[in-house]
Amino acid sequence: MCKNHFNPVYCIIPPYMLTRLMESTNKKIADLAINSNFRSFRFFNDRSFFQKASLHEKTILGVITKQAAKEAMQMEVYDCKQKTDLSGAILLWDSKTNQKITSIAGKNVIKGGKASWDFYWQLFSRNSIDNRGLLIKQYVHYDKGLDNAYWDGRRMVYGDGDGLVFTSFTSDIDVIGHELTHGVTENEANLDYENQAGAMNESFSDIFGIMIKQRFNNQDVKKSNWLIGEKVMIGVKYALRSLKAPGAAYINHPELGTDPQPATMDKYQDLPNTQSGDWGGVHINSGIPNFAFYVAAYNMGGYAWEKAGRIWYSVLTDRSLAQNAKFVDVKNLTIVHAEKIFGINSPEVKAVKQGWTEAKV
Amino acid sequence: MKIKLIRTGGFIPVTKVVEAEVNLTDKELNRLINIIQSSPSAPRVKDGNYYELTVGSSSTPVDLEKVPDEYKALFSKLKSDLKIIKQD
Repeated sequence: MCKNHFNPVYCIIPPYMLTRLMESTNKKIADLAINSNFRSFRFFNDRSFFQKASLHEKTILGVITKQAAKEAMQMEVYDCKQKTDLSGAILLWDSKTNQKITSIAGKNVIKGGKASWDFYWQLFSRNSIDNRGLLIKQYVHYDKGLDNAYWDGRRMVYGDGDGLVFTSFTSDIDVIGHELTHGVTENEANLDYENQAGAMNESFSDIFGIMIKQRFNNQDVKKSNWLIGEKVMIGVKYALRSLKAPGAAYINHPELGTDPQPATMDKYQDLPNTQSGDWGGVHINSGIPNFAFYVAAYNMGGYAWEKAGRIWYSVLTDRSLAQNAKFVDVKNLTIVHAEKIFGINSPEVKAVKQGWTEAKV
Repeated sequence: MKIKLIRTGGFIPVTKVVEAEVNLTDKELNRLINIIQSSPSAPRVKDGNYYELTVGSSSTPVDLEKVPDEYKALFSKLKSDLKIIKQD
C-alpha cells in the first residue's frame, strides 16, 4: 500500500478523484489536492519535454552526463592492399560480425575507432561522427609506403609510412581520433579549410585526438606528454606535433628539419591560400590554438576532457561558430561557454583566458 | 623530356619532389596533363596530399587518381622516388 496518499507521482490517484478532492470543503484536503495536481502537471510536462529533447539538449541541460550504452558503434575496416583504388578495397572487419583479424594496422584502427566513438558517446552522448550513428569506415594499407592519413569527407584512410621517417599512420590513437574529429567538425561548425578557420579545424582535431589518447591511457594533464603521433614518427625524440610546445615536436630531424609550428600569435605565418601554401598554413598555425588549449587544460588540472574538453566541445557544436571563424572568435566563445558551464568568476574561466593570453591571441 | 612532380600537404606539411626524364612527346604529355589535371572546385581533403606536375616553366595541379592505365607504372615509380625537401 502506498504511504504517500496525496502525491500522484508516488501513488496513483485517478484524475477524477483528484478533481473531487480539490473541491472538498475540508480546506486541508483541497490544498493538498491542488498541490498534487500542480506537481502532476509539472511532472507530465517535464516528462513530455525531455522525451522530445535530443541527446545533445539533454547533455547541455545536465540531465544526462553519461549515457547508458543503448547505441552501438558501427564500423567497417577495409584493406586497400597497397593500392589507391578505394572502391576495390577488401572488407577486413566489421562491427556486426566482429571477426578475428591478424592485420596490425586493422587492429590499430579498430582500437582507435572504438576509443574515439566511446569518447564522444560516453562524454557527450554523441552517436558517431554525425551524431546519428554514422557507419565509421576506415581504410588501411592505402598506397605503397604512403606517409599520411586523411579524412576524405566519408572515410578515414591510412598509409603504411615510408619505413624511414614514418611508420604506419595507424600506430597512434591520437592520429585516428584526429581524423575522426575532422568528420565531427564537418558535421558541426564545418570550418573552412583555409587560413585561421582551417587552422582551427586542424586544432580541434589535434585537441580531441590528444584527449582521446589521454582518456584511453587514463592520463591526466600532468601525466600526458601532449605529443601527437609519437609512434608514427620513427625515433624516440620525434613526434608529429606537440600541443605543449608547438615547434618542438621534432628539432633538427635529419630528413625533415625542424617543426615549423608557432605557439603564439606574434609568430603567425601568413602563407598563401594554395595547395603548396598548406591553404594558408592550416597545419602550421594550428599550433597557436593548440597551445591555448594546452595551457587552459593544464591550469584546470585533472583530466583534460572533464573541463577544458567540455568547453571546447560546446564551442565546436555551437551554431554561432562561423565557418570562417578566426582565432579570436573561438577565444571569445570558449570564454562564454566556460562562464555558462562553470560560472563567471570560476577558476575554469580564468584558465581559459590565461590560455589565450599565453598564446597571445 | 624532363618533368618534375611535387607533393605537398598531409598530416604534417612535408614537401616532396622528384625530377625525371620521360620518353614522351609534347603531344602525349599535353594529352596526359589534360586528363589528370585536378578540378579547382574539388573539395579539400582534410590532411590530404596534393600533387603538381611541372614541365618547363608550366606547373599544373594534378589528380593522380585520374592517371590512365598506360601511365600508372610511370607515376608509381615517380611517387616512390619522391624525396623530402628539408625545412630550415
